[in-house]
Amino acid sequence: MSDYNLSLFYLLIYSTTVVILVAGMIILSYLLGGRHREPATGEPYESGILSTGSARLRFSAQFYVIAMFFVIFDLETVFLVSWAISVRETGWGGFAVILVFLAFLLSVLVYEWRIGAFDYAVSGREILKSIRKAKGI
Amino acid sequence: MTVMGLVVIAGVLAAVISCAAFLVWFERRLLAFFQERYGPNRVGPFGVFQVVADIIKLFFKEDWVPPFSDRAVFVIAPVFVVASVLMSFAVISFAPGICAADLDVGLLFFLAMSSLGVYSIVLGGWASNNKYSLLGALRGAAQMITYEVFMGISLMGVVIMADSFNLKKIVEAQEHLWFCVPQFLGFAIFFIAGVAEARRIPFDLPEAESELVAGYHSEFSSMKFGMFFLGEYLGVTLISSLIVVFFFGGWLGPAFLPPIAWFLIKTFFFIIVFILMRGSLPRPRYDQLMGYGWKVLLPLALLNLFVTGAVVLVWQN
Amino acid sequence: MDIMFFITSGVAVFATLMVITRLNAVHALLYLIVSLLSVAVVFFIMGAPFAAALEVIIYAGAIMVLFIFVIMMLNLGREAVKSEREMLTLRVWLAPSALVVILLGQFIYILYERSGSPLTASVVEAKEVGVSLFSTYLLGVELSGLLLIAGIIGAYHLGHTARKAYHRFLEGGSE
Repeated sequence: MSDYNLSLFYLLIYSTTVVILVAGMIILSYLLGGRHREPATGEPYESGILSTGSARLRFSAQFYVIAMFFVIFDLETVFLVSWAISVRETGWGGFAVILVFLAFLLSVLVYEWRIGAFDYAVSGREILKSIRKAKGI
Repeated sequence: MTVMGLVVIAGVLAAVISCAAFLVWFERRLLAFFQERYGPNRVGPFGVFQVVADIIKLFFKEDWVPPFSDRAVFVIAPVFVVASVLMSFAVISFAPGICAADLDVGLLFFLAMSSLGVYSIVLGGWASNNKYSLLGALRGAAQMITYEVFMGISLMGVVIMADSFNLKKIVEAQEHLWFCVPQFLGFAIFFIAGVAEARRIPFDLPEAESELVAGYHSEFSSMKFGMFFLGEYLGVTLISSLIVVFFFGGWLGPAFLPPIAWFLIKTFFFIIVFILMRGSLPRPRYDQLMGYGWKVLLPLALLNLFVTGAVVLVWQN
Repeated sequence: MDIMFFITSGVAVFATLMVITRLNAVHALLYLIVSLLSVAVVFFIMGAPFAAALEVIIYAGAIMVLFIFVIMMLNLGREAVKSEREMLTLRVWLAPSALVVILLGQFIYILYERSGSPLTASVVEAKEVGVSLFSTYLLGVELSGLLLIAGIIGAYHLGHTARKAYHRFLEGGSE
C-alpha cells in the first residue's frame, strides 16, 4: 500500500474507533442509568417557572446575516488557503493576484463596517450623546 | 499496515481521553488554588480519584430524554461534540512517529473538523426544545462561526512559512526558530479564536450560567451531559496542543528530555493558561464579542497573512 | 481501495435518498451532512485530499450551517411536517424521478463505454491546485472575488431590517 492509502486507512480505523467509543458511552449510560417517573419529570427546565408557549421561537434575521457573512468569508478563506500553500511557486505574480483579491475583501469589510453591519447593539457613544442632548449639556 | 500503527491509534485515544478526564480534577484544584480554597481533596491522594467518582456517578444517573424533545437529534448532538474534537487529534504529531494518521492536509483536516463542531451546539439546543437552550445554541453558533473564519486565516501565516499543511512538516520547519516569534500576531489571533471555539471563559457566552441556565445543554443529563463536559476539556487539550504544534515547535527541545515529554510540558503550560484565564477574566457582552471579532481580529489576521507572504517572497529572491 | 469507494458511495446515495424522503427539515439536513461527508471521503479515496478537506469546510461546515440557521429562524415545527407529507405524493415526484432515471441510464452507459478505473489516478497535491489557481486561472479568482462582494452586500441589504433601538434614552425624547 502506498503512503497515501496507508494514512487514509489509519484515518478510517481511527474514526471507526472514535464512533464505537462514543456510541459505547451513550449505550452504557442508557443501560446503567436509573429510571423514575414523577408528575414534573417531563417538563422543560426554566428555573422553576412553568413553561408557557412553545420553545420554537422565531429569530431575528440578524443571525441569518451573520451566517451569510460567515459563508462568504469562509469561501474567501479557501482562496487564501490555496495561495498560502503556493506562495513560493507563484511568486510576485500570485502576490499581485491575492493583493487585488484582498483589496476587494477589505473594501467590502470597510463598507459593512461603515453601514453598521457589525454593530450588534446600540453603541454606548450614541446613548451618551442622547443623554447629553436630553439634559442640555 | 503495521501493528505499530494500531498501537499508536489506541495510545493516542486513550491518552487524550484520560488527559481530558484528568483536566476536570486539575482545573478544579487549580482554580481553588488561585482562589485560596482547597478544591476536591478527599477522594484518593490529593483528590485525584475525584474524576473516577464523577465518571461513575455520571454513568449511573438517569439517562433522561425529554418527552418534548426531538429524540434522535437529542442523542446525536453529544456524539457530535466528542467525535468532532477527537477526530482532530488524528492528525497531530505528538513526537516523531507518534501520529495516528499523518495526513498531508492535516491542518485543513483540523479546520474541517472544528467547523463540524458547530452542529453539536445548534442541534443540542434545537433538539432540547427549551427556550434557554435555543437561545444559547444560537448565540454559540454565531460566536463559533465568526471565530472560525479568523482561526483559518491566522494559521495561513504558519502555512506560508512551513510551506505545508502537514503538521509533522510544520513542526520540522521550526527547528531553527519557533513560529511564535515571526508569527506572534498569528499566534495571538489563533489563541483568542481557539478559546472562543472551545467556548471557554471569557468566551463562554452560549452557556452563560447567570442568564441562560446552562445554555444549549440545559436539558442534558447523565453521560450525555458528561459528553458535553468531556468535549469542552477535549477542546482545551486540542487547542493547547495545536498551539504547541503550530507556534511552539511541537516536540522540539533540548535533548535531555525525550520529544514526547517536551510536547506534554508545553501543552500543559497552555492548559494552565486556559485555566488561569477562567480564574481571572470576566465575560464580555455579546455584541462586544462579535464586534471585536469582525472589526479587530479579521483585519489583523489578513494583515498578518499578507505581510508574511511578502516577507517570504522577498527572502526567497 | 475499490471496495472502500463502493461502500462510501453507497452511503452517499442512501443518505441522499433519506434527505429527499424525510419530512422533518432538520432530519433531512443531518442526512445531507452525512451525504456530503461521504462525498468528501470519496474525494479522498480518489486522490484529492485538498478537495475533500474543502468539501467538508465549505459545504458541511459553512453552507449547511446557513441552512440550519434558516430552519431555526423559521422554526416551522409540526405544521411544516404536515404540509411536507401532503406535498410528497406520488403525483409530485413521479415525473422528476422518471427524468432522473433517463439521465442515470445515460450516465451508466457512458461509464460502461469508457473502460478503465478512475481510481487509479494519481494524488493531486494542494500545491498544484494553488499554483494553477494563481497562475493559469487568476482571472477566475478575481471574478469570484467580485461575485462574493456582490453576495455579501446583497445578503446584508436583504436580511437587514430597520432596527429599533430599545433603550430608554434613545426611544424618542426622554424626560
